[in-house]
Amino acid sequence: MKPNIALTHALVGAGALVMLTPFWFMFVFATHTNTEILSVPPPLWFGDALWDNLKLLLLRLPSFWHNLGWSLYVALATTALNLFFCALAGHAFALLDFRGRDVLFRALMLTLLLPAFLGMVPTMLVMGWLGWMNEHRALIVPGAVSAMGVFMMRQYIGAAIPREMVEAARLDGCSEFGIFWRLVLPLSWPAMGSLALVVFIGSWNNFISPLIVFRDVENFTLPLALRSLQGTGQTPFGALCAGAAIAVLPLLLLFIVASRRLIEGLTAGAVKQ
Amino acid sequence: MSARQHTPETPRRRWREAFRRVQPYLFVSPFFVLFAVFGLFPMLFSIGLSLHRWDPAAGLSQMQWVGLDNFRYALLDDDWFSQSMRNTLWIALVSGLPQHLVALPLAWWLHTRLRGLRNLVLGLYFLPFITSTVALSLVFTSMFSKDFGIVNTALGHVLGLAPIDWNQPEYTKIMISLVVFWRYVGWNTVLYLSALQTVPRDLLEAAALDGARPWQQFVHVVLPLLKPMAYFAVTLTLIGNLQLFEEPFILTGGTGGIDQGGRTAAMHMYRVAFTEGDFGTASAIAWLLFAVMALATWGNNRLLGERKGSR
Amino acid sequence: MTMHRRAFIRGLSAAPLAAGSAGAAGSRVLQVATFPDLDRAAALAVPRFERAHPGVRVRLTVLAYADFPTAMITALAAGANLPDLMGMDREIVGQLADSAGLHDLSAVPFQAGQRSSEVVPFALTAGHSRKGTLTAFPVDIGPGCLFYRSDLLQQAGLQEAELTASWADFIRCGERLKARHNSYLVAHAGDIADVVIRNGLRPGDGVFYSAEGRPLVRAERFEQAFNWAARARRSGIDARVTAWSNEWAEGLRRGRIASQMFGGWFGGHLANWIAPKAAGLWRCAPLPAGNFASWGGSYYAIPRGAREPALAWDFLQVLALDPAQQRTAFTTLDAFPAMTAVHADPLFDQPLPYFGGQRARQLWRDASQRIPAVDADRNDRLARDVIQAALERVLEHGDRISDVLADAERRILRRARISASTAPA
Repeated sequence: MKPNIALTHALVGAGALVMLTPFWFMFVFATHTNTEILSVPPPLWFGDALWDNLKLLLLRLPSFWHNLGWSLYVALATTALNLFFCALAGHAFALLDFRGRDVLFRALMLTLLLPAFLGMVPTMLVMGWLGWMNEHRALIVPGAVSAMGVFMMRQYIGAAIPREMVEAARLDGCSEFGIFWRLVLPLSWPAMGSLALVVFIGSWNNFISPLIVFRDVENFTLPLALRSLQGTGQTPFGALCAGAAIAVLPLLLLFIVASRRLIEGLTAGAVKQ
Repeated sequence: MSARQHTPETPRRRWREAFRRVQPYLFVSPFFVLFAVFGLFPMLFSIGLSLHRWDPAAGLSQMQWVGLDNFRYALLDDDWFSQSMRNTLWIALVSGLPQHLVALPLAWWLHTRLRGLRNLVLGLYFLPFITSTVALSLVFTSMFSKDFGIVNTALGHVLGLAPIDWNQPEYTKIMISLVVFWRYVGWNTVLYLSALQTVPRDLLEAAALDGARPWQQFVHVVLPLLKPMAYFAVTLTLIGNLQLFEEPFILTGGTGGIDQGGRTAAMHMYRVAFTEGDFGTASAIAWLLFAVMALATWGNNRLLGERKGSR
Repeated sequence: MTMHRRAFIRGLSAAPLAAGSAGAAGSRVLQVATFPDLDRAAALAVPRFERAHPGVRVRLTVLAYADFPTAMITALAAGANLPDLMGMDREIVGQLADSAGLHDLSAVPFQAGQRSSEVVPFALTAGHSRKGTLTAFPVDIGPGCLFYRSDLLQQAGLQEAELTASWADFIRCGERLKARHNSYLVAHAGDIADVVIRNGLRPGDGVFYSAEGRPLVRAERFEQAFNWAARARRSGIDARVTAWSNEWAEGLRRGRIASQMFGGWFGGHLANWIAPKAAGLWRCAPLPAGNFASWGGSYYAIPRGAREPALAWDFLQVLALDPAQQRTAFTTLDAFPAMTAVHADPLFDQPLPYFGGQRARQLWRDASQRIPAVDADRNDRLARDVIQAALERVLEHGDRISDVLADAERRILRRARISASTAPA
C-alpha cells in the first residue's frame, strides 16, 4: 500500500503546483517591465521592477486605495445582506409549508439559467429610474439576493436541521422568526460560511455591474479600476499584475480565516451526529 | 408538552392564525421583491426583446416588432450560433466531467489522509477560484504561448510533444477546457469536502469492521451519502459551463478564436448584441440556451436529485 | 465576523472617501468618457480648460478599451448615465455614429461645419452618420506606413524602392529576405489583405459597404487582396502570428519579423517597449504599390442625454482644434494631429533618432493627405469578422477565393440585413 499512497501524495502535490502556476506568473510579472513580460521566453523568476510598477500603478490609478476600500465595502455589505436574506428564504422553503412553495422555488431556479449581461440594459433602466447611478447601493441591493444562495441554504437547512427540534420549538410557542434566529441560523453555520465565501468572491471580482453603474473612477471597485489601465496605448502590464496581486490578497486572507473555521464547524457538526 | 390554551378573545387568535399563515410569505418576500425588480423585470424585458429587432446604440425608441423571426434566424441561418452551441457542449463536457471526477477522490483523500497539511493543500486548489480575470488573460496568453510558453515546455519535457499552437481551432477548445478545469476543480473539492464532514464516522467504522477496504467504503458507503451535494455541485457546473463566457473571452481576446474555434454560446450572444448591434437576436439566443440548460438540469434532477419521500 | 465588526469596517472605509467628495457642490461638472491612452491626451487639456472656465470641473471616466463600447452602447440603449462628451475609437465610430442618441454637431448650437475644414478630410468622413449628420469629430488619426528593418534589407541586397514598388515586388523581396536571414517579411498574410481592400474604392463607398449599405465584398479589390495574401502565405514570407501577441513582439524585437504596416503611432511602441535596443535600425517607408491606409484614430461625440452640451463642445474644440493641445498630445503621446494647421509646424521636420534620423513625421503627414476618405458603416465590425473568417479559410485550408467571397457576401447579407432594418427613421 505504501508506494501507492506515496504516489498519490505526489500526484496531489503536483496538482497543487499546477494550480499555483498562473499565480506564480502573476506575481512574477508584477516585478518585470513590459519588454520583459511580452517576450519569448517569458520571465520565470522575479525581476527588479516591482517598485517601479507600484509607482506607475499609483500614478496611472491614483484612486487605487479608494477602489480597494470600495470593493471591501461593497463585498462586505453584499455578503451580510445576502446571508441574511438567503437564509431567511431557505428556512421558508425548507421548513415551512405554504401554497405555491414548489412553484416559487422552481421559478427561482429558472432565473439561474439566464446569462448575466442580458440583464444589463434593463438593469440600467431600473437604476436610472431609481436614481441609483454612480452609487454603491446599485451593486449591493441586487446582490443581496441570489438564487444560488437560496438553493444552497434550502439544501442545507433541509438536511441538517432536525424537524423534531423545530416542531418542539413551535409547540413551545416560539415565533417563526425566533426559531430562525436562535435555532436555524446557528446550526447553519457551515453552509453560511460557504455561501459567504462565494458571495464575497463574486462581489469582489464582479466588473460588469460596476461598468454600468459608475462613471467616476474614484467610485470604481477594484477590478474595473484595474481594467481601466488596459487600452490602445501601452498597457502597463507589470503595474496591472502588481495591482491584481494586491487585489487577491484580501481574498486569500478571507479564505485562510474562513476555511479553518469552516472545517472546524463542519467537523463539530459531524461529531455531534 | 403544553396543552392547547383557549384564549377568550377569538379575534386575537384569528389574527395570530392569519399571521402564522402569512409568515412564510413574509420570510421570502424580501427576496421576491428584489427578485421582481432585478431578476423578473430583466427576464421579461429580454423575452420582449427577443421578439423585436433592436440596435441598442440607436436608443430605446428604435425597437421593431418581428415576432419569431429572430428565433428562426438563430436556428436556421446563423451557423456561428450552431457552431458555438457545439463548442459549448464540447467544452462543458470535457471540462465539467474531470472537475468532478478529480474533485471527489481529492476531497476523500484530503478528508482521510491529509490532516496537518489539509488546509494548505485545499487552499492551493482553491486559489484559482478566487482570481479575477484582470491579470489572468495576460498570464494565460503567456503560458500558452507557442514557442516558450510554460505549457508547451512542460508538455515537451514530460510527454515529448512538439510545441502546439494553441490558437489553432482544434486546440483552442482544449486550452479553454484546461483553464476552466483549473478554475473550478478546487471549488468542487471544497463542496465535496464539506459534504464529507457530514458522513458519520461510525458508519465507516462499521463497514471497516465488516472487512470493507477503503476503496469499497468509499464507493458503497460514502458516495450514496454524497448524492445531495453532488446534485448541487453538478447543477452549478452544468449551469456555469453552459453559460461559459469569461474564460473563452479572455483566452481568445474576445474574438472566439480562428474559425470560431473557441466561441461559446454566451460569447456569440455577446458579440451579436454588441458587435453586430442586434440585441433582439441575442435575446433569442439567450432563450434558446435557456431551453438547453433547463433540459440539462432536468436531466440532472432525474439522475441525482432527491426522490420525494426518500429522505 | 460579527455584524458589529462589519459595520465598523464599513464606516472606516467610507470615512476618508466622504471627505474627498465634499467641496464639489455648486460647481458645474463636465463628464468625459475615455479609454487609455485617449484619457491621457484629454488629461493634458484639463488644467487650461478649467482655468478658462472657472467653476467648471472636468471629470474623466476611464474604462478599459475592451469594456468601453459595451458601457457606451448600454448607456445609449438605456438612455441613462451618459457622459457629456464621449470619446470613441475608429473601430466603433461606424457603429455609434448612426445612433439617434448623439447630437448632430453640424447643427445649432455647435455649428461644427464651420470648422470642419480645419481637420483632415478623410477623418471627417467616418464621423458622419448614414443620414449625413456629423455625429463624431476627429481628434487624432493614424496615417499608415511601412516600418521595416533597413539593416536586414541592406544585407539581403535590397533597396527600399524595390520593397514598395508593387505587391509582387514586395513578396519577392520577402522571399529574398527569407533565403538570406530566415526572417519573415510580415507578421501575417492578412496584413497585406487589410491594406489592399482599403484602396481602389469608388467615391462614397465604405470599405465593406456601398453608400446604400450593400456589401461590396465581391469587388475587384477583395479578390486582389485575398490573392496577394494567399501568394504571400504560399511564399512562406509571413510568420503567422497575430499582432500584439508575445511571439509577434518577440519577432519584431529579434528581427525575425522584418516589417510591419501600422499607423505612425507605432513608432512610439517600437521605441518604448517592443524593440528599444534596435534604435537606428528601423526606417519608415510609404506603403507598397502606392496604397494608402490608416490605422486607428479617435473621435468625440456629444450624446443627446448630456447635461452640459455647450461645455462639452467647448472642450471638444480644445481637444481637436487647439494647436497647442494637438502638438503636445503628438509629442508626448504619439497622437497624430487631425488638425491640418499643426501639420505645418516645424516639429514635423525634426529628425527622429529611433529611425536613424529619418524625418518620418513628414512621411506620415504626406500619407495623411492622400489617404482616401472612407465611409464607416454601422455593420463594419460584422463585415470584418466575416472577411477575417473568409481569409482564414483561404490561407489555412486553401479554399477557392471566389467561392469564399461569394459565401462571405451571403453571410453578410444574412447578418447585416437583420441589423440594417433597424436604421433610425
